[in-house]
Amino acid sequence: MGTPRPGRMNAPGIREPTEAIARARAGDAEAWGELYRDYAPAIFRFCRRALPTREDAEDATMEIFMKLKVKLVQYDAARSFSAWLYKVAANHCWDMLRRRRIRQDKETDDLENVPLEHPDPSQLELLIEQRTSAEVRKALDKLGGRARMALVMRYYSDMSYDEIADALGVRRAFVGVVLLRARHELRQALEGNTALAAGGAS
Amino acid sequence: MSNTPEEKIKHLDEMTLLLYIERQLDRARGLEVSAHTQECDTCRTLLRAMERESRLLTRAMLEEDEPLPSRLAQFQERARKSMQWIWGVAFGLAATGAYALYTGYIQPWQQQLEQAGFGGSNLLGLLIFQGEIWKGWQSMITLLEVLAMVTLGGLAAMFFRRRIRRGSALALVFAGLCTVLAMPQGASATEIRHEERLTIAQDEVIHGDLYAAGGRIRGGGTVEGGLVGAGGDSEVYGHVLGHVLSSSGNLRVTGQVDGSVRCYAGNLLLKGKIGRNVMVAGGDINIDRDTKIGGSITSFAGHETIDGHVGRDVLAMGGQVTITGDIQGSAKIRSGELIIDSSARVGGPIDFMSDNRPQVSSGAKLASPVHYEKPKHRDDYGSVHYYIWQVIWTAAYILFGLVLFALMPKFSADAVKSAENYGASAGLGVLVGFGLPIAACIACVTVVGLFVGLATLFLWYGSLYFGAVIIGAVVGQWLMGRTSELWPLIGRMAVGVVIVRLFTIIPHVGWVFKYGAAFWGIGAISLVVYRRFQPVIAPNVPSAPYSPPMPPNTTVGGPLPA
Repeated sequence: MGTPRPGRMNAPGIREPTEAIARARAGDAEAWGELYRDYAPAIFRFCRRALPTREDAEDATMEIFMKLKVKLVQYDAARSFSAWLYKVAANHCWDMLRRRRIRQDKETDDLENVPLEHPDPSQLELLIEQRTSAEVRKALDKLGGRARMALVMRYYSDMSYDEIADALGVRRAFVGVVLLRARHELRQALEGNTALAAGGAS
Repeated sequence: MSNTPEEKIKHLDEMTLLLYIERQLDRARGLEVSAHTQECDTCRTLLRAMERESRLLTRAMLEEDEPLPSRLAQFQERARKSMQWIWGVAFGLAATGAYALYTGYIQPWQQQLEQAGFGGSNLLGLLIFQGEIWKGWQSMITLLEVLAMVTLGGLAAMFFRRRIRRGSALALVFAGLCTVLAMPQGASATEIRHEERLTIAQDEVIHGDLYAAGGRIRGGGTVEGGLVGAGGDSEVYGHVLGHVLSSSGNLRVTGQVDGSVRCYAGNLLLKGKIGRNVMVAGGDINIDRDTKIGGSITSFAGHETIDGHVGRDVLAMGGQVTITGDIQGSAKIRSGELIIDSSARVGGPIDFMSDNRPQVSSGAKLASPVHYEKPKHRDDYGSVHYYIWQVIWTAAYILFGLVLFALMPKFSADAVKSAENYGASAGLGVLVGFGLPIAACIACVTVVGLFVGLATLFLWYGSLYFGAVIIGAVVGQWLMGRTSELWPLIGRMAVGVVIVRLFTIIPHVGWVFKYGAAFWGIGAISLVVYRRFQPVIAPNVPSAPYSPPMPPNTTVGGPLPA
C-alpha cells in the first residue's frame, strides 16, 4: 500500500543505486561488487531471520546474488531496487523451505477457517512489555516456515500485502490471517509454550 | 453485571485491529475503528498492545545482531569478479611447472641414479630409504602422485567449504591425511629392540625385520629380514639378508649384507660384503680395502675414501673424494677435490665437476681420462631458459600462496600481520629457521623420532616457501595499502611475490633477499602458531582464539570472523 519504505537495506539514507545497476548490467565487475557490498548484509539478515540455520542463510545469500546476476536484466528501474531484491530473496527462501518440506501440517490452506481466539488485551500488553528483541528472534525459530516468512517479509523488509501474497502463493485477503496467526504462534513461543497458537489446530 | 456502555458495544476483532494498524482498511472502515477505539477501553488496550507488538517485531527484525560471515565477505570478491579463469590459468601453470620440473630436473637425476645401479621405481621412494620402513608405501610415493593428491585435496577442501564449515573441511583433510599416513602399518614379522647397550649374539637368528635402537648396538647373528637401526655407536658384524637402514653417530658394517646399505652416519666404515648398493650420507666415509660392494655407491660426504671393490657405478658428492680401490662401472663425482691414487682402477668413464682440477696419479688404471668440468656458479642471466624458469617458479609460488590463503584465510592474514611485527618475526625466524631443522635431525636419530623428524623437516621446508609468500603479501600491502579481505590480500600477495622474486635474481645479493624473506616469513608463521597455542581456548572457538568477542551489535561488514 503506498507506505514509504524506511530505507532498511543498509546504512540510513541509502539511495537507489541506479548508476551501479546500469553498470552492473553492462558487465562492470566493480559495480557488481558495489551492489553486493551494499546489499549483501541486509539480504543475509533477511535470510537469517527467515531460515532455520545460519548455514542456510549463508547459502541462500550466495544463491540469491548468483541468481541476481542473471535476473538483473529483468529489473525495472522505475521500481525500488531494494523492494525488488527482497522479493527475489523472499521467493528464494520460500522455495528453499518448500523444497525441504519445512512447512508443517498446521500451515495447510484450510487454516483460514480456523477461528482465532481473542487475546486478553492486558495480558498481551504484559507479555510484550517483558520480552526483548533477542527473545523475539529466538522465538522465531519455533515458528512454522510460513509464519516466519510472513513476519520477516512484513516486519523486516516492509513488503506490501500484495507482495507477501505473491511470494507465499496465497490470496491477498489471506495475508492478514497468516500474519495474525504468525503473531499468535509467536506469542505462544514467547510464553515458552511450544504448542500451537491459541485457537490454532493442534 | 453493570450496564456499562462498553458492554453494549460489540468489540472489534483482532484481525480488524491488525488490518487497521497495518493500514489495510479502507478509509471509512478505518474511521469507524478509530472512533470505536477512542470510546472502548478494551479495544484501545488491545490496539495499543498490538502496536507495541508490531514495534517489538520490527525492532527484533532490524537489529544488526551478527556481522556478515567471512564466507559471505569473501564471496563478495568472487561476486565482483569471477575467478574461474584465474584458477584455470594458475592450475595450467602449475601443471606445466610440475611437468617441467619433473622432466628438467627430477627425471635426469632419476635416470642417473638408475644408471648407477639403483633399480628403485621412483626417486622419492629411493631417497627416503625405500624398503623396510616404507613397506606398502612405495606405490604411492611418486612426486607427481603426491602433487596430484595435494592439489585434489586442496580443491576438494575448497569445494566442500561452501557446504561445510572451514573447521570441518580442515578436519576432513587432516583426517584423510592421517588415514593415509596410518595405512601402511601392516609390516611383516617384525621385532623391535630398544636397549642402552644392545647386542645381538653371534648365534642368534631373527626371522624377519629387526628394528634396533640403543646407545651402543652390536649386531651379530643373522637377520633374515632387514635391519633398521638407530644408535650412537653401531656395528653390524653378523649377516643381514635384507637391507640395512641406519642412522648412527658411528657405524661400522663389517659383516655381510645381502641387500643394500642405506645410512646416515657421522663416521661410516664399510668393511664387509654388501650384496647390492650403498647409499650413504655422512661426515667421513671409509670404504675399506676388504669391502666388496655388488652394486653401486651413492654418497654425500665430507670425506670419502673408496678403497674396496665396487661392482657398478659411483655417484659421489662432497668435500673430498679419494679413490684408491676398484670401481667396475663409471664414476660421477662432484666434490671439492678428487684424488685418484696409483692403486685405483676405474672401469668406466669418470666425470668430475669441481672448482679444482683432479689429482690423478699416473699409475692409476683408468678406462678413459677424467672428464673434468668446472661448474658454473652464477646463474646464466643471458639465457632465455633461466627467465622462463624464473616465471615458472614465480607462478608456482603464487599458486602455492593462493591455495594456502584460500584454505587458511585467517591464519594467513594473521601471519601477514605478524610479519609486520618486524623485530619479533625476524628474530623468531632466525631461531626457528635454523633451530627447527637441527631439532628435526636430532629427532631422526631415534626410530620413533625418525618419522616425526622427517615430517618436521618437510613442514619446515614447506614453511620456507610459505614464508616467502607471506612476505610477498607484506610487500604487496606496502605498495597497494592494507586490506583485511581475502581476495584483495591474495592480489597483493601475487604482486608482492613477483617483486620479491625480482629481488632474488639480482646477481650476488639476490640470495640475501631470498633467504631473508623465507626466514622472516617463517618467523611470522611461528609467531602466529605461538600465539595460537598460548591461551586456553574455549572448545568451540578454535579458529579465533585471540579476537576479542564481537560486541552484540557489531555493524555488518566489520572485521572478518574466523
